[in-house]
Amino acid sequence: MNNLRILVVEDDPVTLNVIEKRLVKAGYEVETAESGVEAAELVVKRFFDVVVTDLMMPGGMDGIDLLEATKARWNETEVILITGHATVNNAVEAMKKGAIDYLQKPVNFDELTLRLQRICTLKSLRKHASDLREAMDVTENTAAQTIHDLEIMVSELRDSCTTAATILADQGLEVNERVRKALEVLSSRTSNLSGTKAS
Amino acid sequence: MIKITPEEVTVLSKYVADISGIFLDQSKAYLLEGRLGGLVEKFGCSSYSQLCMKAKWEAGGSLEEEIIAAITTNETSFFRDTVPFELLKHKILGDLIDKRKSQSSGYFPTPIRIWSSACSTGQEVYSIAIVLKEVLQDLNKFDIKILGTDISGRAVARAGYGQYNKFEVERGLSKERLEKYFNRNGNAWKIKDEIRAMATFKKYNLMEPIAHLGKFDIIFCRNVAIYFTPEGRAKLFDKIGNVLETDGYLIIGATESLVSVCPKFEPKRYLSSVFYQLNHSRGI
Repeated sequence: MNNLRILVVEDDPVTLNVIEKRLVKAGYEVETAESGVEAAELVVKRFFDVVVTDLMMPGGMDGIDLLEATKARWNETEVILITGHATVNNAVEAMKKGAIDYLQKPVNFDELTLRLQRICTLKSLRKHASDLREAMDVTENTAAQTIHDLEIMVSELRDSCTTAATILADQGLEVNERVRKALEVLSSRTSNLSGTKAS
Repeated sequence: MIKITPEEVTVLSKYVADISGIFLDQSKAYLLEGRLGGLVEKFGCSSYSQLCMKAKWEAGGSLEEEIIAAITTNETSFFRDTVPFELLKHKILGDLIDKRKSQSSGYFPTPIRIWSSACSTGQEVYSIAIVLKEVLQDLNKFDIKILGTDISGRAVARAGYGQYNKFEVERGLSKERLEKYFNRNGNAWKIKDEIRAMATFKKYNLMEPIAHLGKFDIIFCRNVAIYFTPEGRAKLFDKIGNVLETDGYLIIGATESLVSVCPKFEPKRYLSSVFYQLNHSRGI
């Protein structure tokens, strides 16, 4: 069930290693990066379901920059920020920019797992909704084609009936002639019906 | 949640039909219960009939608005069904502009009036506006007004604000269009002023008189009439016929039928789509 592909970004190699091991053990597919720049390069190349990144990182690209770069490339990727106590406000700012959640240091692993499970649920709900929509689209398109054909057909039949009625009421013609002409109009239309459907 | 009784379904359905035209029979009891149950509690009522009485007592009040918001389906998306917008782009706009240009002196900008009659949260209106921008390029040569109306004041307010979350923009908008016509605003996207300027939004109930809205060259009335009774449907399209220019275009929902509903209109086929025009030849 844990089929998320996760990128963990943390400049402290010890913490990074711990998180990676625990996530792999929990069954996630994990890649790591030790800086924002390195992470951004990975993100551009391939899709991750979740990026878990430290907020404060040296090297010119911090967690917020990475969040923005990730969202610009893959809008569907969810970003979780890891933040120290002093930077909670920045984390809230980051959520306004599209991060799904933040965790405070030191990372509580149960908490992280809960967040990831929630993302899993969200993803499957989204998939379910898009499947339903897809099914509805297919049904609607098929129904639409049938209805359009019928609309045109009914409208043309109505025209023929009106024409036939006008002919039948035409006092200037012999009765036999009227019937013959009216039948001609009606039969030309009915023989066309299958043609209407095929077009 | 409080259970709804069959008698209450009858009373509430009648009330809902009166204020919105939406027809719900006994089989839709689950829908009334699911969508209005929260309001029974929120407004401190002991039953559905009390809720109904309270709403009638304060006609036009906040409870009525809440009931409308709860009962109406706001399902919509940008470029929903695609086909109507292709039709607009490749057929209708060109034909309309040719006709309008030949009628005008050429001195004033060519007027184009479009009505999205159940615009929900505005996606249809902005999709139309984007098509106009893409087809016409220089908007200054045209006097464009797209009116979006909806029965729900809340939906209309959101439409006017023109801001959408990521799930909403993911539906129907290409990345190119999203970046071209929207500004990112944190987690959300807001429609750009140039597109927004073509649109006006107004709360309007399709059950009410219609003439004050003016006349339109193109009317979108998609997936609304399906919720009405057959009589309600016939009345609605008859009224719409009165505000459509004699050479105007009506676009209905992809799976809706009109020939059997309103004899005023005649279907016209363009590629795989159908649109409707007023029927002149039969003198109706």
